[in-house]
Amino acid sequence: MTARLPPGLQLEKVDDRIMTLNVGPQHPGSGHMRLIIKVDGDYIVSCDPDPGYVHRGEEKMAEYRNYITNIPHLERPVIHDSCNILYPYCLGVEELLGLEVPERAKYVRVIASELNRFTYTLYWLGIYGIFLGHSTMFMWPMGDREFAIDLLEKLTGARVTHSYFVPGGVRNDAPANFEDVCLRQINYLEKRLKTYADIFYDNPILIARTEKTGVLSREDAIRLGTTGTVLRASGVDYDVRTKEPYDVYDELDVHTNVLKNGDSYDRSKTPWLDMLESCNIIRQALEKMPKSGSVRVKLKPNPKGGNDEVYKRVESGRGSLGVYIVSRSKPEPYRVKLSVGSFRNLICMPYLLKGEKLGNMPAVYWSLNYWPVEADR
Amino acid sequence: MSDSDTSIQETETKPVVENQQELPKFEKDHSDKITAKFGSKSEIAFVKPDRIRVNVKKEDILDVASFLRDELNYDHAESVTGVDFPADKEIEVVYHLGSYTDPQLSRQVLSLATRAPREDNPNPGNDSTKLPSLRDIFYSVEFHERECFEMLGVFFEGHPDNRRLLLPEDWADLPPLRKDFAIKGR
Amino acid sequence: MSVIAPKFRLGYFLKSLTDNIFWIIVLLTLVGIPAIMIVLFFIDLPVLDGVLLTPFLAFTMMFHPELAVPVVKSLLYSDFFRIAAFPGFGFAALLAAGTIFAERKLLAKLQLRVGPFYCGKFEGILQLMADGLKLISKEIIIPAKADKPIFWTAPVLFVATAAAFVSLIPVAPGWVVADLDVGLLAVFAIIGFFPIITILSAWSANSKFPFIGGIRALHQMVSFEIPLILSLLGVVILTGTLNLSEIVESQSNYWFIAFLPIGAIVFFISMLAELERIPFDLPEAESEIVAGWLTEFSGMIYGLVQLGSYLKLYAFAALFVVLFLGGWQGPMVVPPFPAEIITHGIEAGPITVQVPGLPITTQEMLNGTLWFTLKTVAVIFFILIPRGVFPRIRIDMLLSIGWNKLIALAFINIFIALGLLYAGVLGPGGLL
Repeated sequence: MTARLPPGLQLEKVDDRIMTLNVGPQHPGSGHMRLIIKVDGDYIVSCDPDPGYVHRGEEKMAEYRNYITNIPHLERPVIHDSCNILYPYCLGVEELLGLEVPERAKYVRVIASELNRFTYTLYWLGIYGIFLGHSTMFMWPMGDREFAIDLLEKLTGARVTHSYFVPGGVRNDAPANFEDVCLRQINYLEKRLKTYADIFYDNPILIARTEKTGVLSREDAIRLGTTGTVLRASGVDYDVRTKEPYDVYDELDVHTNVLKNGDSYDRSKTPWLDMLESCNIIRQALEKMPKSGSVRVKLKPNPKGGNDEVYKRVESGRGSLGVYIVSRSKPEPYRVKLSVGSFRNLICMPYLLKGEKLGNMPAVYWSLNYWPVEADR
Repeated sequence: MSDSDTSIQETETKPVVENQQELPKFEKDHSDKITAKFGSKSEIAFVKPDRIRVNVKKEDILDVASFLRDELNYDHAESVTGVDFPADKEIEVVYHLGSYTDPQLSRQVLSLATRAPREDNPNPGNDSTKLPSLRDIFYSVEFHERECFEMLGVFFEGHPDNRRLLLPEDWADLPPLRKDFAIKGR
Repeated sequence: MSVIAPKFRLGYFLKSLTDNIFWIIVLLTLVGIPAIMIVLFFIDLPVLDGVLLTPFLAFTMMFHPELAVPVVKSLLYSDFFRIAAFPGFGFAALLAAGTIFAERKLLAKLQLRVGPFYCGKFEGILQLMADGLKLISKEIIIPAKADKPIFWTAPVLFVATAAAFVSLIPVAPGWVVADLDVGLLAVFAIIGFFPIITILSAWSANSKFPFIGGIRALHQMVSFEIPLILSLLGVVILTGTLNLSEIVESQSNYWFIAFLPIGAIVFFISMLAELERIPFDLPEAESEIVAGWLTEFSGMIYGLVQLGSYLKLYAFAALFVVLFLGGWQGPMVVPPFPAEIITHGIEAGPITVQVPGLPITTQEMLNGTLWFTLKTVAVIFFILIPRGVFPRIRIDMLLSIGWNKLIALAFINIFIALGLLYAGVLGPGGLL
């Protein structure tokens, strides 16, 4: 007790009654982070999230790369939602450099962003199913996700880590028959999404397991600063696409899904409803898109921003994703900060899991729409 | 007092924006409320569409934050960013505040910035780089301030749990986001 | 030190020679002598025409083909055949293997995938053999602080208990390994072993996650044994006997499920819980406690546990068929054995071959086996389907179902059975 501990380590007294469980990185039920859970019988006494296993220092590395070479670098936190991470960065850089994005590029950006919402949310939904022991709900979203990934591959050339958005537009134009293929696959995907209600959302065991667990009231959701589907499932109607529309979202009709109860069931249902909404958004964007036009603004080599700072936000699969760029007249940004939805929702974990049953832990913890890689950056 | 302050405001902004009627009205009213209450303690850095920035000293930040929460209805912090300025020997911490409850403020993000002195040989937790924690006012900054502590070495007084969050437990080097911490090989 | 062909040294060679001789002698005495004792004292050699059939005599029947069929028939009716092949271990293992394969294929089709595909010419049918070979070839890792004797014997006990359970089930009239007058009571006694074995193997692994899994398995199995037993009381009331073969005999006019549907449903749900099938697979809840009480098993020990699980599955499904679905009863669809072959012999062109001793199997036996297998396969199908449809249930919901709702339903079932009995509708002296 008197010996000096190395920095970062703590001394803890062992209690007879309370068992410490490491729901750790090598665990089929944890994702790539660790939860240090203290259990008294079947009830969780405290939960201490320990992220940082995938911390790669994205923000520090971004200060060493210029604005364009930062693009494939900054999309790595969420590889299958990469367009949505790059979106606020590109919007910010465009404001710093004073670029004007062509119209067709804006629509293509919206389509790519919504398709990325599919790939992320279906992956998350699959993992949610398997955490609850429902293997069919793991296989179906993973299979249906292939449609969205296939579309993204036609559009950008890569299945994940698209590196598609650049400051000034998108990297390349959509292929010739993209609109028809996209429409067909989105229609089929919508039909498949509706069957999830039969097997999952109306399943009596699922309802019994997730209803009234991990209830986050409206006041708490606002006070804890949550975002995204967690916020909308607690009754707060806030979606960056409608409140602060960027690109062409002000011309599209976006309907936000707000559920009232704030329990795990609502938090698991809101992303699914959002996906059904994305189908409508993609269809509208495909209609309104100008049929031809340039998709990229030509940039001078090594563009420099002035002595300025900018903060831009976008609605990603997890919630409002903000990028804060400070520039000081150099080709590299002075500071890039990613304010990601997962990190903001992390505070709900110790708050909600205290007092829960151990059996509810996967249902509550994964319903917070938490992507560990993104929170660690 | 408010008149002279707004006139100082206008002369300040004149060299930046030639015609001050370009300043967006809603944000301008907003920032005027802040300067009306705090006068010279708060400095409005810029007023842009949907974005306002207020610089305060670290002694006043608790008052300004309470005012923002109670009077102006900002209810959560979206992110807490630490920026290292070795040339000024200061570390700047920027709080981006937003509002979910006030429909007029749904587009606004207010940047509240404060500075802490920076030492060349940091001893995180025990040197002069300390700031008061805003956790009692905005509960949502808890994990953000922890990350700021470990990445830049800024100790937040009043925060219940100043611990490592993302870095490994045996990190014994400089706080990584400081400019003197050089990535090996670059 | 990886020398493939070391230099020859006479001393080492002699040492290895004596080592090998020693071990061969040890094995012969420890294994060979008991095997010979078993064969000599416990396996009854059949008697044909007053002559004891020794193996020597059996070989000479190559020259007397008319003796072939009686020899085979006598072997078929011996005890050893019943235990090892039909209706004992061989039949159960075959059905269990078929169940594993069918489960994987069925789940795959439900989940829009293909399932085993590459192993074997037709739709991956040899996948099970490949998995068995893989498990045999893996290293068996035992945790350092585990309780080694119990850790080794627990899976073996598990298989042994499951096999004991299988031995009580009658497949065709007269074809049962152990025909006990208190057969149903023996079933309950054997089922009572499973929680003990589970908690022993979980405890001996000396690790947190198996411990939690073992406790959950104990809770689950114990709390569902009571509704299991209570739901069968209705059947016992109506038949008045505990002998499983007689229970099947008494269902010749009607099946019990028609009059005791609630009992059948309670038994089915309790069966799912005893088998640790989804939705009741808490002891092996992968996402919460890695693999529950099976976490520390690896290699062939894991294979043994899986074998035991699927033998248990077959046994429970067969028990359900015997008690509620009429066992082997069913309309006679097997054609009778042609009578001319017995009297005249088989005509093949100009030659008439007289084969004494035919028919090997009786018509009732074939018919009974056929109907029994069909019904068991149908019940197994219904056990497999919830795996693709339901998520896992939580422990407190499980306990409330077992202790509150199912016991209440089982009591209602008993009252219905008593009512039917005293109203004179069923049972001895009843209408049906």
